[in-house]
Amino acid sequence: MAERILYNLLQVFVVVAFAPLVEGVTSRLKENLQSKRGPSIVQPYRDLWKLLHKDEIVSEHSSWIFRAAPYVAFTAPVFVALLIPVLTQYPLFFAFMGDMLGGGFILALGGFFATLAAVDTANPYGPMGASRTRMVGFLAEPVFIVVFLTVSFVAGSTIPYIVQLRWVSPIANFFEPSHVLLLIAFLMLILAEDGRIPVDSPSGLFELAMIDRSKSLEYSGRGAALMKWAGAMKFLVLICIFLNVLVTPWGLAHGMGLAEVLLAIPMVLLKIFGFVLVLVYIESSLAKLRLFRITEFLGAAFVISVVAMITRLSEI
Amino acid sequence: MELAAILLIPALASGFALLPTNRHFAAPMTVAATVVVFILASAVAVRTTHTGRVDALGQWLTCDGLGALILALVALVAMTAALFSWGYIRIRAGHSERRKEQHYYALYNLFVMSLLAVPILANVALMWVAIELTTLLSAFLVGFEDTPEALEAAWKYVVLTTLGAVLALLGFLILYWGSQVAGYAPFTWAGLVEAAPRMPPALLWPAFLLILVGFGTKVGLVPMHTWLPDAHSQAPASICALLSGVETTTVLYVILRLFPVVGGTPSLDARPWFVGFGLLSVAIATLLLIYVRDFKRMFAFSTVEHMGIILVAAGLGGAEAHLGAAYQMAGHAIAKSFCFFAAGAVATVFGTQEIAAIRGLVRFAPLTAVALTAGAFAITGAPPFAVFISEFLIFKAGIASGQYLTIALLATFVVIAFCAVMFHINRMTFSTPLGSVPATALPLSCSATLAVAAIPLVVIGIYVPPALQDLLHAAATAMGG
Amino acid sequence: MHSPHFSVIFSLDALTGALFLLTAIGVVATRQVLASLQLFIAQSLLLSLSALLLGIALGSPHLFAVAGITIATKTVLIPWLLRHTVSVEVYRTREIDRVLNIPSSLLIAAFLVVIAYAIANPLLGAVDLPFARINLPLGLAAMFLGVFTVVARREAVPQLLGLLALENGVFFAGVAIVPELPVIAELAAAVDVPVVALVVGLLTRQIHKRIGSTSVGRLAALRER
Repeated sequence: MAERILYNLLQVFVVVAFAPLVEGVTSRLKENLQSKRGPSIVQPYRDLWKLLHKDEIVSEHSSWIFRAAPYVAFTAPVFVALLIPVLTQYPLFFAFMGDMLGGGFILALGGFFATLAAVDTANPYGPMGASRTRMVGFLAEPVFIVVFLTVSFVAGSTIPYIVQLRWVSPIANFFEPSHVLLLIAFLMLILAEDGRIPVDSPSGLFELAMIDRSKSLEYSGRGAALMKWAGAMKFLVLICIFLNVLVTPWGLAHGMGLAEVLLAIPMVLLKIFGFVLVLVYIESSLAKLRLFRITEFLGAAFVISVVAMITRLSEI
Repeated sequence: MELAAILLIPALASGFALLPTNRHFAAPMTVAATVVVFILASAVAVRTTHTGRVDALGQWLTCDGLGALILALVALVAMTAALFSWGYIRIRAGHSERRKEQHYYALYNLFVMSLLAVPILANVALMWVAIELTTLLSAFLVGFEDTPEALEAAWKYVVLTTLGAVLALLGFLILYWGSQVAGYAPFTWAGLVEAAPRMPPALLWPAFLLILVGFGTKVGLVPMHTWLPDAHSQAPASICALLSGVETTTVLYVILRLFPVVGGTPSLDARPWFVGFGLLSVAIATLLLIYVRDFKRMFAFSTVEHMGIILVAAGLGGAEAHLGAAYQMAGHAIAKSFCFFAAGAVATVFGTQEIAAIRGLVRFAPLTAVALTAGAFAITGAPPFAVFISEFLIFKAGIASGQYLTIALLATFVVIAFCAVMFHINRMTFSTPLGSVPATALPLSCSATLAVAAIPLVVIGIYVPPALQDLLHAAATAMGG
Repeated sequence: MHSPHFSVIFSLDALTGALFLLTAIGVVATRQVLASLQLFIAQSLLLSLSALLLGIALGSPHLFAVAGITIATKTVLIPWLLRHTVSVEVYRTREIDRVLNIPSSLLIAAFLVVIAYAIANPLLGAVDLPFARINLPLGLAAMFLGVFTVVARREAVPQLLGLLALENGVFFAGVAIVPELPVIAELAAAVDVPVVALVVGLLTRQIHKRIGSTSVGRLAALRER
């Protein structure tokens, strides 16, 4: 029991500690893929360090929401990290506190506070980004629901630890059409939720075209650091759900030994970096969609998830 | 062996039509080829009435009563239409465009070949290919005029009928599936009839519907008829005669072939579907006949109406109704091709297809006027023409079997259609001319065609030769299953 | 009949089917002609892959023939024909003129897939054929999507691609329900499909030459007035 609590906390630690690294690797790989040199992979840590030591300026017209939002946004992925399999294949202490829908709600709470905070200041770009984020969110919502419904049909549960075992028990399950279609739909969701390129440009600096990033434009100092960190953690958590729950549980720890769990950290990171390579390839080969084309992108994701559910229900 | 020759001759004629040295002889050669084909087809038909069935090339080609009737009708109309084309296409293509003319005859022969292949190919899958080829080979004939309207018509024709054909293909695949399940191998009509009672109804049913809707598109059944008036009004008149007179009937033949197949299964009743689709087609076509403004379109809608009548007749059931259906097919093929020859003649003389633009036809072109009026009478079922007798047979059979409502509706629509067509024709023929019209002289071959095609038109209404009578009975028997 | 790797082949065929359906949806939803063509080629490859898998599972040489014919005609011959007859249309980078916008098209597409399953179920209940469980409903769905593509597109080449995708759908169902169809019929059908492409391609070129565009959906000179 004590181990399970320990590993669960270790899991949280891994998410908090390595999220900036994953972000750093992502941006480095992307630049490299585009034949540029790119920043160092530890650059996000330096940014956080620098921001944490700077003074924070808060608009005197803003309310407590603006001040609270970074903490809520930072805490949300931490809580989700308690629920999902990051390192181990077997359920940990808090695994049954909430299912995938619960995790989705917690992440949405962080997003909700960030949105409120963006509206709270008088900066014109904040509300613009907030409304766009909401639009993407509304469109992504049905896809999330259908994906989770399908998952629950397949596994008979929405607890991520139970779901992950379903896909590999006989290897034929991996090739089930519903599984592959879910993967595609969920990948599209990650791109949309995290503001990746066909939907939003994470490295764009032009405020008018921003969707996700313009919400945190007003933050400085510690607030900015927390928001940045929170974004990185959300990305990592989504990737963990995708890779460890939906794609495969390969590389996770099977036994209870500490060594095995510690060994899982580099294995999982390796898997994540592999995925990041695919992701930056997608990002580099696509152009950003016009705002109203996002409907079509997520519409396609919705249709794919519906098809996944239909093939599932007709028991192919 | 005649059956193989029937397919070979048009193919050879098509090849010869393209030879550069053959510039002047493409038309007469096509006429000669179709005459030979017609003689062979008649011989096959006569033999069929004696022996019941004619096989050739092993079991690949086969022909029973219903097939022989269709074969003979296609050959007949192909012959008259070839004769009509001789002078007509030269005007349409322009005298300097010999190359275009040669292409026309090459495609014409291939098109005729594909039509002839449908009733005699034994394998149902190959028959499907033949039907698909009738569309593809006639696409450029429909778009022959090269006007935007003609190309639009050709486009709709190809896309919609191919779409229908692919739906029908799935139907045939399911039928084949069913016959495999039933444990009977040959994929022929006879084989299907034999296997049908053992097929699971859950397979037979969707197959029937897919083929009915898919090929119903090509037959021009309402509501899949939208392409038909366009294609049948924009194509050259000779092609219209083939499209309207026999292509629709040839495809309808396939649907009628399903009747005995489905009839073998007691849990399914195809007849309400036949009667329903038929009556709907007759009703809508009749309404459209009232509002029509283009006389070739008018005859096209009349084709939709006739397809509906034949389908209703098949759906009524019973030997007499089926005899009526067979007779109606013959009467329609002969009368409708004649109507389109007459319409083509009118359009050549006046250079327009607008009903409103033509007045007092009888003063400018008496022969054409007589032909048009006679054709209109024949197609709408006035006595003493064949369609009158066939419709009478159908009504009689329907009343005898107690299907009063169907017959009442059918009769009402037939009468309205008669009035509508006669109203338009009357205005075109007899009312006061709209001033002097620069009338073009009709080519000799067109006048000759009208004369030749008038012979069967008049004859089979008054006197049915015993050979034809036997053929019609054989066809009705094949339909009844 | 059941080879040892049956369940893996079954799953692989199911996966092929799912991707096949996605390409069919893609043909409905893409905006550019070239993308439609590429999706059609991908779809044909998936069709032949399914035929191959079924051929291995059922030990049927016919299906290998079908796979070969499909690759030869649909992924090589037809694209070649289209590029030679209507290259202007295929390579033009502009949006396809369509009746419905993409989100509505996608929703209708999802609806059609549901309908296809509803129709296929009673057929599958009648006969026990393992691969038909996958191929028949998905083939039907692709068929409906093809019909929908023809209806929803206003331009010539996309309509043709819809038609060909429709044919692919029928064959996708066909390889599972009638694996022993006589080879002669397969050959004939294989000849038929490129002829469709050729005739429609030539007609498109004629329309382009004559009218200056290929928005066949906007041609409406012929109708009841």
